[in-house]
Amino acid sequence: MSQEIYDKLAKAVIDGEPEDAEEWAKKALEQGLDPLDCINEGLSPGIDRVGELFATGDYFLPDLIIGGDAMKAALNILEPALTQGQGRHVLGQVVLGTVEGDLHEIGKTLVGTMLTANGFLVTDIGVDKTAAEFVAAIKESGATLVGASALLTTTMLHQKEVIEALKEAGLRDQVKVMVGGAPITESWAKEIGADGYADDAITAVAVAKKLVGAA
Amino acid sequence: MAKIEPIEPQFHLEVLNPEQLSSIKSATLQIMEEVGVRFPSKKALRIFAEHGALVDWERQLVQLPADMVLEALGQAPRSYVLSGRSEGTDLILDGRRSYFATDGCGTLTIDFETGEERYSCKDDVARMARVADGLSSIAFYWPIVSAQDYGRLAPLHELDASFGNTVKHVQTETVMGEMPARYAVRMAGAIAGSREQMRANPPLSALICTIAPLGHDKEGIEAAMVYAEAGIPVGFMAMPTMGSTAPAAPGGALVIGNAEAASAMVLMQLVAPGAPVFQSLLVSGMDPHTAGYLVSLPQKYLCNVAAVQMAHDWGVPSLAGTFGLDASEPATWQLGRDSVYTALLCALAGTDITIGLGMLKASTLLVPEQIIFDDEIYHTHRVLAEGLDISSQGLALDIISKVGPGGHFLAQKHTRRHLRDVWIPELTQPRPSPDGTPPQDIRQRARAKLDRILVEHEPEPLEEAVRAELDAILSAAERELGS
Repeated sequence: MSQEIYDKLAKAVIDGEPEDAEEWAKKALEQGLDPLDCINEGLSPGIDRVGELFATGDYFLPDLIIGGDAMKAALNILEPALTQGQGRHVLGQVVLGTVEGDLHEIGKTLVGTMLTANGFLVTDIGVDKTAAEFVAAIKESGATLVGASALLTTTMLHQKEVIEALKEAGLRDQVKVMVGGAPITESWAKEIGADGYADDAITAVAVAKKLVGAA
Repeated sequence: MAKIEPIEPQFHLEVLNPEQLSSIKSATLQIMEEVGVRFPSKKALRIFAEHGALVDWERQLVQLPADMVLEALGQAPRSYVLSGRSEGTDLILDGRRSYFATDGCGTLTIDFETGEERYSCKDDVARMARVADGLSSIAFYWPIVSAQDYGRLAPLHELDASFGNTVKHVQTETVMGEMPARYAVRMAGAIAGSREQMRANPPLSALICTIAPLGHDKEGIEAAMVYAEAGIPVGFMAMPTMGSTAPAAPGGALVIGNAEAASAMVLMQLVAPGAPVFQSLLVSGMDPHTAGYLVSLPQKYLCNVAAVQMAHDWGVPSLAGTFGLDASEPATWQLGRDSVYTALLCALAGTDITIGLGMLKASTLLVPEQIIFDDEIYHTHRVLAEGLDISSQGLALDIISKVGPGGHFLAQKHTRRHLRDVWIPELTQPRPSPDGTPPQDIRQRARAKLDRILVEHEPEPLEEAVRAELDAILSAAERELGS
């Protein structure tokens, strides 16, 4: 019986059906299943399969994102039911945002979805965020990785400010910094002292894993 | 599993208005009646004479009264089927779809392994038939090169290599002469199962070239009569060259070609009333300094479209010749340009069948990976000709409202479903693959795809009894015709 529900949860993630994922998460709890087992035996294998299908070219970005949405929908039900001391295994805590003066969202959101789908716990602080807001979110969440996005040549300068603010707050040694966005290059990342850069959301996951020592 | 994706154009291109079409038809009928067409075949001349044409036996010239031409062509079917040997591989020539084939019949091959240029052989025909079987752009197969390792029997061995390696319909453009044609018909009968089934579902059709200006080839026309009697669809391709074998004016070249092809189609109807026939006109230009053959010309592209209209005006299907132009290297600017002007325009004109994928140097040189480039261009044309989806699903109003200003469409199920409808060129935008990063060089990418098809695609084999029958027919042909 429990295996059947794990399979349904996995299927909801693979098929990208958030409504089904939520429904099966509720049924799992009603039937007294361990929420952590539901995550480890159902959702995780599901999202792994989505990743595999993406890597082979069979799945597209929307499949990945909607699969991630399905996983989130089930986690919203299952996580509050975890008992004290229980927690799902995460690769790392990440704060993600678009820098001050910049309203571009999609690239940053994609990176967030990809990181979540790959086992990171992501706090997405949104767009047009000052360096101080990044630092506050890092302090609050205890994140060890931050991603700052910029799409404009005029706003990319603010990525440097985030790094400076981390130094001022005495957090630079504990927090790795990733930067990205259309005008960003590897050499810009080096120039401002960032730890990682990626050209697209898929590569961003590989870079993030390396930075938290999970690769 | 062999698959076919024809082009189904949703908008149409015409270059001749009804008056112009009518002028061409009148001029053609006048040439056939007053000037005549040369048929160097006693059998053909006798049939024409029996049906009331004016025959000059010495000059082998036939003058065809307009009434006779129109009455005969009136019996030719506009719609019929060219059959493949497995489900889903039939070509329905009813004017709603364009089916494409490889080019043929080259004499040189860039060797698959060494990359050196050499004479073509039967194995090349077989390998490319397997590739054709695995590409959905290829609806029927022209033996792409000559099986030069089989001497006089090369044309029959080309058919053998084709039937053995693809379930798709095969069209020969090399089996000429009454006796070889009889063997080709026997081979088609073996594939179909019986003569009756072959007539109903022909797995073979034939194309015969005329001789410009205003003539036919004895072997070609006598083979054609064998095909028509057996129910094998047969088409006639005129290739007038403006300036040398035709007037240096597209209109005159079209009239000459039209008279050549139509006169042969009339003969077929006299031999076998209702015989399925088709017409093809490939106008080219003469190089004004060398008299060489020029095909990358805007007037030629216009004539291609006019030729489709003219075949349909007679009430028969049209075969167009596309791709395979002057260029000698794959992936060149020139090939890209010419493919659009030939393949796309002919498809939009509503040509029924079209040949031309996979060859270079004016259809003489087989560069194996060229067919992959042409396949990608074909699919670009296919999607282009389909037009735009302005249905409620296509307009997606509810999704636009749901996402609203400032949002994005990546997480919508509508996006997930319809993103798959956006056809993305595979060579220029390679997809992620479990095989790792695709090669940087586009020609290597094309070659990698070709090699993958050759390794992974298994055409449905012939039944053992059919295989044995084909072998027996080839042995009999060798005894009778010599090797």
